[in-house]
Amino acid sequence: MPDTTTGVVVIGGGSTGAGVLRDLSMRGIDAVLVEKGDLASGTTGRSHGLLHSGGRYCVNDLAAAIECVEEGRILRRIAKTTVEDTGGYFVSVSEEDLAWEPRFVEGCAKAGITCERIPVEEARRREPALSRHVRTVFWIPEDGHLDPFYLVVGNVESARRRGAQVRTYTEVTGFLKNDNRVSGVVTRDIFTGEETTIGCQAVINATGAWAGFVARLLDVEVKVVPVKGVMVVLSHRVAHATINRCHKPGDGDIIVPALSVAILGTTSAKVPHPEVLPIEWDEVHHMIEEGALMADGVSTARAMRAYAGVRPLYDLGAEAEGREMSRNFAVIDHEARDGIAGFASIVGGKVTTYRLMAERVTDLVARRLGVRTPCTTAEVALNDREDEMDQLRHRPAQLGVPKPHGDELGLQALICECELVRPQDVAPWFKDPAVRTLEDIRRRTRSGMGPCQSAICSYRLAGRLVTERGLDGPTATRAMADFLETRWRGVRHVFWGSQLRQAQVTTGVHLELFNLDRQLMHDLPPSLAGEGRGGGFETAEVASQR
Amino acid sequence: MITEETETFSDTVEEEAPVEACTKCTACNTVCPVARSTDIFRGPKFLGPESERYRSHQETAVTAGLDLCSGCKLCEVTCPSQVTIQEYIRRAQNKGAEEGGRTLREWVLGHTRLLSTFGSMTAPLANFGNRNPLVRMLMEKVVGIHRKRPLPRYQWLTFERWMKRHPRPRQTRRTVAYFYGCWVNYNERRLGEQVVAILERNGIDVIVPKQKCCGIPAVVNSNMDLARKYGSENVRRLSELPADMDIIASSTSCGLMLKHDYAHLLEINGAEKVGARVYDICEYLWMLHEAGELDVDFQPVPMRLLYHAPCHLKSHGIGYPATRLLRLIPGVHLEEVDEGCCGISGTFGMKVEKYDLSMKIGSRLFEAVKAAGSDSVLADCETCRMQVEHGAGSRSAHPIDIVARAYGHG
Repeated sequence: MPDTTTGVVVIGGGSTGAGVLRDLSMRGIDAVLVEKGDLASGTTGRSHGLLHSGGRYCVNDLAAAIECVEEGRILRRIAKTTVEDTGGYFVSVSEEDLAWEPRFVEGCAKAGITCERIPVEEARRREPALSRHVRTVFWIPEDGHLDPFYLVVGNVESARRRGAQVRTYTEVTGFLKNDNRVSGVVTRDIFTGEETTIGCQAVINATGAWAGFVARLLDVEVKVVPVKGVMVVLSHRVAHATINRCHKPGDGDIIVPALSVAILGTTSAKVPHPEVLPIEWDEVHHMIEEGALMADGVSTARAMRAYAGVRPLYDLGAEAEGREMSRNFAVIDHEARDGIAGFASIVGGKVTTYRLMAERVTDLVARRLGVRTPCTTAEVALNDREDEMDQLRHRPAQLGVPKPHGDELGLQALICECELVRPQDVAPWFKDPAVRTLEDIRRRTRSGMGPCQSAICSYRLAGRLVTERGLDGPTATRAMADFLETRWRGVRHVFWGSQLRQAQVTTGVHLELFNLDRQLMHDLPPSLAGEGRGGGFETAEVASQR
Repeated sequence: MITEETETFSDTVEEEAPVEACTKCTACNTVCPVARSTDIFRGPKFLGPESERYRSHQETAVTAGLDLCSGCKLCEVTCPSQVTIQEYIRRAQNKGAEEGGRTLREWVLGHTRLLSTFGSMTAPLANFGNRNPLVRMLMEKVVGIHRKRPLPRYQWLTFERWMKRHPRPRQTRRTVAYFYGCWVNYNERRLGEQVVAILERNGIDVIVPKQKCCGIPAVVNSNMDLARKYGSENVRRLSELPADMDIIASSTSCGLMLKHDYAHLLEINGAEKVGARVYDICEYLWMLHEAGELDVDFQPVPMRLLYHAPCHLKSHGIGYPATRLLRLIPGVHLEEVDEGCCGISGTFGMKVEKYDLSMKIGSRLFEAVKAAGSDSVLADCETCRMQVEHGAGSRSAHPIDIVARAYGHG
């Protein structure tokens, strides 16, 4: 007998898995999502956050472009607090770009993408950041920013409100089978090592770049090609709208203003494993150099960190590699293909099309389970709890002093001044058993994502681990050290100018003032997850709630 | 290999914008007199560089609490990364005011010179009014100037007119231009007379070029355009002087505008060149002393004096030349009261809703002044002197007053 049972187990806590969980719960199917890290800690959270109008794919990948058009419009409707409706520019800076233009215009027309050529002077008036190299400009009103963290958390919270469950830091290590039918999964808690079995009628493999590893546990093959992309985060938005190079998609040709920062992307390189994502100096260099061709301010802004994500490109059998491969997705019915009932995989695709991907795979599984309720994820708004999903851009106004003079009540302190994170923004997450590291708090609140990269908020959060989560001092300090460590991994790629000086301040605060390294050597519990991932915190009290 | 990398690096990475240099070290917050005195002010770090990240690209600008910044610039003095913190705050304050429309008070306080001309012409009446409780109550209601704040006394004879009648010395070594400012012109002519007398005693001819208000009252009252108009006019006039002629200012804030803010905050053409020739009066006298040119034949001045260093003097980055100078005078017993900002910050402490805060900021200084006891509290800045007199009930003077006494011009 399995420890618990449910209807469907969803493996993978990225946008697809979260979308599937919501879709299942909205069709009244009992579901549990298991994720070996945190929500949005894989591909989704490491995307550049471009809400694709489809313009980027309209020449080479028309089918994907058309999906982006439709899904982009749906997301603008159902996920308002997740989407920043910035609009976007496609700019030409070279002869080759100019030669690409007719194909781009034709592609936009075919895909149904609104695309308007505007005079450069007019464009500069609207977007002063456009560089002097810019020769022609197209305005694509439907490009935008899609916040991957809010998107995933929003989907998961929506599903939870409908009874679905989430288990983070829970890895699937095996399957329960009845003949050729999957009847459950065996999971292992990353931090405690505890094994649990979950019985179910079907399993959906939504692990993206990791889909092959999960399928292998059932001795079936899913060929996913992990393709690395490197991104650089700048300290402020740089531009009002997204900026794309109007050319054949290449390296460093996207600038996305994302909430309080700008993200430069990206590269494309096949990697042997989705977790082997080295970032080289010349990649970072290239991002900044190419970005500066499109927008002023890219090279004078502070580069805060660099990160790499992995695209889960599905090998449709074609010869193409990397960018040439389609961004289309595929639903794999393993019952039909491999004779394993109760198991389906969803691979390929993009964050922008996550909802459609979820709908398609949920259609299949629901049909197999005999559930006829149609999909309603395109109609029902993601977020019916505004306060939980409060977008950062609304915060400056909320931080006001309502009646300044004579009101001696004082201001509420902030947890993270860089990203305007208030105590009430973090408080609910300390009570969520799915939140198990300070990185998880960061993904849900943006605490630590500003220029100081957690130098200050880390110790404030550590304090709250004690007061709000009930941890003891050493465990909270260890959680803080692990948080600093994960931040450091991104910061070390941009060590020049202000960010290098910033790191010195962080070092001064934590190693000299707090004497953290000495504490780590002598007094603190070891990081639970060991190398490669920040340690988690868990108290008996919290564990018992699960 | 290293050389190659370095070249690539400098090709890619341009010098960052100054706002990026903030490392959140929080040094500015620890010296901010406003943040120390109220819980409703988030402090220079947050309202300056941190909010600046949001201002340019956000529909809702971060403006709450901005008006509480008094503009003392201590944050900029202390910043280890040379972030122009207060300038960011100032620009945001003024942008907000421009969008929201200027108040009557901002207009009145911004037009110091106009107001002072009127006050000076009607001196007895204006001074009577400024001390009349009924008038002050009306002033508080209509304009928003706190009734308890003593306002400066106007003098009928301006420094400008006095200077016209003043005979120029015959034998001089060099000539300097004196930027006397509105205060000396309309409120404390005697200080101007003393400056002229001291310089002439040292063989220096003083001329007074035609001048406008330095513009700082306009800057701090949300009128950058007016400040720029005044500033451009002053820069134009001062640029017409011989290129090697030094310019002397006896008001700390006027001096700071000429030296720094014209070029950086107001971005006035040619201001950098003019600014490089501007000296605070005590700074200038100390330079003369270092060059062996200062007449140190001082009479003893047996006084117990306290020195309060104005915040804007700290922004000059010249140390406290007044204290060095005064220690040359026999008999002077001088102590520094190191209790930070006095709280008035020009017109800030005059405003009805900021008066209490202003007095709270200054309370540490007042207590120290009262406890120490002295014949006079010296400060280079006129509004600091107003505030110390009001808050600590002590006498106050510009350090030049003591130098003048030592020369027998008391």
